[in-house]
Amino acid sequence: MPGDDGLLAVRAAEGDEDAFEVLVRRHAPGLLRLAASMLGSPAEAEDAVQDAFVSAWRRLPEFRGQSAFGTWMHRIVVNRCLNMLRSRRPVADLDSVPEPQAPDHAVSPSRAAESHAAAVALGRSLAELSPEQRVCWVLRELEGQSYETIAETVGISPEAARGRVFRARRCLTEAMTAWR
Amino acid sequence: MAMNSDAELPGPGAGPGSGGAEESADDERLACGRLLSEVWEAREGGSDDPDTDRDRAPDRDPHLRTCPHCAAAVRQLDLLGVAVREAGGGRESEWDAGALTERVMDVVRLELRPGRPLPLGEREEDLWVREAMAAKALRAAAETVPGVRAGSCRIRPAESGGSPSRGPVRVRLEVVVPLTPRLRDLAEEVRRRVRGAADDALGLPVDHVDVHITDVTEPAGADPDDPAGTEEGNQP
Repeated sequence: MPGDDGLLAVRAAEGDEDAFEVLVRRHAPGLLRLAASMLGSPAEAEDAVQDAFVSAWRRLPEFRGQSAFGTWMHRIVVNRCLNMLRSRRPVADLDSVPEPQAPDHAVSPSRAAESHAAAVALGRSLAELSPEQRVCWVLRELEGQSYETIAETVGISPEAARGRVFRARRCLTEAMTAWR
Repeated sequence: MAMNSDAELPGPGAGPGSGGAEESADDERLACGRLLSEVWEAREGGSDDPDTDRDRAPDRDPHLRTCPHCAAAVRQLDLLGVAVREAGGGRESEWDAGALTERVMDVVRLELRPGRPLPLGEREEDLWVREAMAAKALRAAAETVPGVRAGSCRIRPAESGGSPSRGPVRVRLEVVVPLTPRLRDLAEEVRRRVRGAADDALGLPVDHVDVHITDVTEPAGADPDDPAGTEEGNQP
């Protein structure tokens, strides 16, 4: 992580929008990837990250550098995604999940088609997790975070975070096993 | 790890196969007697860092090496891992943040925080500059000194009078500077250039410039492990 995030955040807090632009450009790709994993939809991920940055710009004057700017943004994005997932419930937004292609591996057992179908199956089963399970699982599996960090971000106990990750893994392994 | 009342699963400290481990409704006891959660925790290395020790768990627990039930459970988890990696979120570099950055900055520019008005020129003139604009110019002037990075820059009327008062201002600038035995000279040079920019470029009468060195960076390439710095190459 570039070491001058702190300087740029201070400048942005004092109204330097150019400094903020550098931070947005620097952190947007990672945050987009994170949001897309949690939401399963690139378009929604863009909305979530855009809202998160705008909210960060408004809140920067109160941001006193208690944590690194990247950590702070990460947390804003996770909470934004959590809220978006919650507002989707209980009707799972299946439109946001790509349609699985016809299981054509009987015709052409190409590895690419196979792994694409696996990705689709994974996407479908992710959409069936609860918002908390999905977010905790993404933070653990894709971001490699500790249960303590996940717990702090999501606002639950580390044991609860551990439980959510486990349950997500059970649902996903069962779905993937069934798919195979 | 102590299990508190809202514990949903045994922690990694609960020994594998320990008869006392409480089986949660979501957990599953494998045919060999192990809990699925324990086997998966062990697969993760038992530590809280999923990247360490992943493949060393069987060394510590011979059962995991030989038990077919545990092996099947681990294989399930590994297959999930394969599917996750293949599905990918894409690499960070595949995300084009350009359009997003533009949209964010469009909103930001509608919600600028220009700060207080500061007097430009002579007392009898009616010319003002906003603090945020002036601060940008003064930070840029400070950064003309090689290796110097400017952070907070606050500009206040030197004498607190009626608001907004005309008259000289006081500048408080925070800088990060490269490590040098002549810090005092460096700070003096920063002060000189900031004052020069205020006088010449802005026409902002300055009473005093406080330069605060908030951090010192190692010269580039000195010690790659030093968390404090060598980041000068990352300047935007």
